[in-house]
Amino acid sequence: MSDTVNAADHPSGAYVFRLYLAGGAPNSVRALANLYAICRQHFPESHRIEVIDVLKEPLRALAEAILVTPTLVKVSPAPEQQIIGNLSEEDEVLRALGLPQKETA
Amino acid sequence: MSDKKRADVLEKIPSGIEGFDDITSGGFPRRRTTLLMGGPGCGKTVLALQMLVSGAMRGAPGIFVAFEENARRVAANGETFGWDMRELEKKQLFFVDACLRCDVVKSGAFDLTGLLAALEAVTRKMGTKVIVFDAIDVLLSLLDDPAAECRELYRLHEWLAAHELTGIFTTKVEDNKPATAQRYGFMPFMADCAVLLSQRVENRVAARMMRVLKYRGSSHVLNEVPFVIGPAGLEVGSTNGVHPEPQPLNERVSTGIERLDAMLSGGVYRGTNVLLTGSSGTGKSTLAGAFIAAACQRGERALFISFDENSGDIVRDLASISIDLAPHLASGLLRMVAIRTEAASSEEHFMRMKRLIAEQQPRCVAIDPLSALSRMGGELAARVVAERMIYLFRNAGITVLVTSLLEGIDPHLETTPMHISTIADSWIQITYALHDGERNRALSILKSRGSKHSNQLREMVFSDTGITLTDPYSAGGEVLMGALRIEKENAMRAEGERKRHEIEQKRRDVELIMTERDHRLEAAQRDLQNRSEEIGTLTRAEETSTDESTQRQDNVVRKRDGELLQEQAPRAKPGNDKPASVAVKKRGKSK
Repeated sequence: MSDTVNAADHPSGAYVFRLYLAGGAPNSVRALANLYAICRQHFPESHRIEVIDVLKEPLRALAEAILVTPTLVKVSPAPEQQIIGNLSEEDEVLRALGLPQKETA
Repeated sequence: MSDKKRADVLEKIPSGIEGFDDITSGGFPRRRTTLLMGGPGCGKTVLALQMLVSGAMRGAPGIFVAFEENARRVAANGETFGWDMRELEKKQLFFVDACLRCDVVKSGAFDLTGLLAALEAVTRKMGTKVIVFDAIDVLLSLLDDPAAECRELYRLHEWLAAHELTGIFTTKVEDNKPATAQRYGFMPFMADCAVLLSQRVENRVAARMMRVLKYRGSSHVLNEVPFVIGPAGLEVGSTNGVHPEPQPLNERVSTGIERLDAMLSGGVYRGTNVLLTGSSGTGKSTLAGAFIAAACQRGERALFISFDENSGDIVRDLASISIDLAPHLASGLLRMVAIRTEAASSEEHFMRMKRLIAEQQPRCVAIDPLSALSRMGGELAARVVAERMIYLFRNAGITVLVTSLLEGIDPHLETTPMHISTIADSWIQITYALHDGERNRALSILKSRGSKHSNQLREMVFSDTGITLTDPYSAGGEVLMGALRIEKENAMRAEGERKRHEIEQKRRDVELIMTERDHRLEAAQRDLQNRSEEIGTLTRAEETSTDESTQRQDNVVRKRDGELLQEQAPRAKPGNDKPASVAVKKRGKSK
């Protein structure tokens, strides 16, 4: 069982994510899919995802100190949080986002 | 033959560090990967940065990726070595702050594609030649999977190769483990060149060491070599340095003590080294002072390095035996530097001396005592440093006198700490000769290359007027010293006096005899004169006789005259050996 969290519970409003990817690299593709799944499940109405392809905008990634791909940055609600990896370990992602984790029953 | 051929294949990038280029036969491999390993504080980052900076100064742009330290701080550290980072960063240097945030969360697999894309973009813009990845282990540890670590590192490696870039990786290793047994043990296998930096403590003093573990396709020094991080970056003490051999000089340099110079057949050769050994209080420092004073008097620049003794004290002590260094210090001809032994390792002392020599440009140097080096950082390190120091002086044509304490070492063994006696050109030893409740300083020359030298053991005496070596006296197979020597000197004086007296006495005796003989000769002459006058009187009395009797009388007179003439002959020769008295006596007898 998992709780559904409404945007109303977060006074700051919607979840804003930036996902740095490396083109069609396997980990990048997987990360994007995983992120969509999490968003759909936990806050289907209140999220925004910006995807940045570091292969196309390498200097931007550098300026924002992105080293590894994929990297997910939760911009809001504050505080900003960085999650690296293909987001396959959902519990880690949820914990980092401050959401209740799935029950391991 | 193959050297030239190999150079076509394997190009090198000079590191800008003389000693490092020596041990790697030219520097880092171009378009290949080098791994710098070491424990914390070993100087990996400084070495990588220095290499990058020196390349940038020659116009080869580089990127520094900092995984552990803040990139701004790394750049700021560069400023402390006198490198103009701000200026270099305008065109030649690019710093990438690749410190991961401490609160970063990991979820699933990732790779370095993003970083490589960024680096590629910068490289294209700047024309980068070299990229340093500082603390690559920090990045790898994030992967937390040995297979992934290996894969990502190879990805980096491949990427560098594909872009014809020279890569420098630095990584931590645990000090007490061999590099290959470490977590990232595969790294040395991947890299084309691997250098291990270490820091170890011997006798409470830290010393930095580096060793080239491997260098594909190139010769390199296998040994561990010492290095320091000085005010201008890394200084590597290479033992491989092939320097042009200096021309030997035939000029003699005075030791400052006339009689010692004589023992060395005119002094020591210019550009050679003199080792002065002896236990404490034997006067090594004083001799060093005399040597330096003599150099200054000849108008030569000099440097006096003393360990654990203040320059002021040395000047004062030397002044007490009429060796005055003060005017030379004032004129700048002489520079005296007192170094606290405890302050640094022998290697650091060496680097400091090198700088001092560069500043003062001396022709003569004294180091008192060189053995102080072995107190700091262990015997072996000190020995290496001492040797390199000797070669440094030899190559610079500097005449150097080093003293060495022989403490707790049997003087009869005639060995020196750090075994510097084997590379010393001249070796003078001062010992204490114990005899009859006295301690006297005895100086002897154990070795003097290319010179005839005295084999005598000489007593050295310090006085208000300076240092001198006494005349050698020996008795019963031993050289006399101190009171025994003074006794002998007194005895010699007394003997001389006695002989002089004896001769004087004899001379007076002979004179007396001669005077007496003169007197007797005078008396005899007077007697002779009286007698001839008597004969004259008698002759005149007889002239009144008859012709006949006159005729007879004449015959008698003629006979007497003949006899007289005969007897007068010896007297006619005054300087005759035969004493006159003999003639007188003979005549007396004939009467």
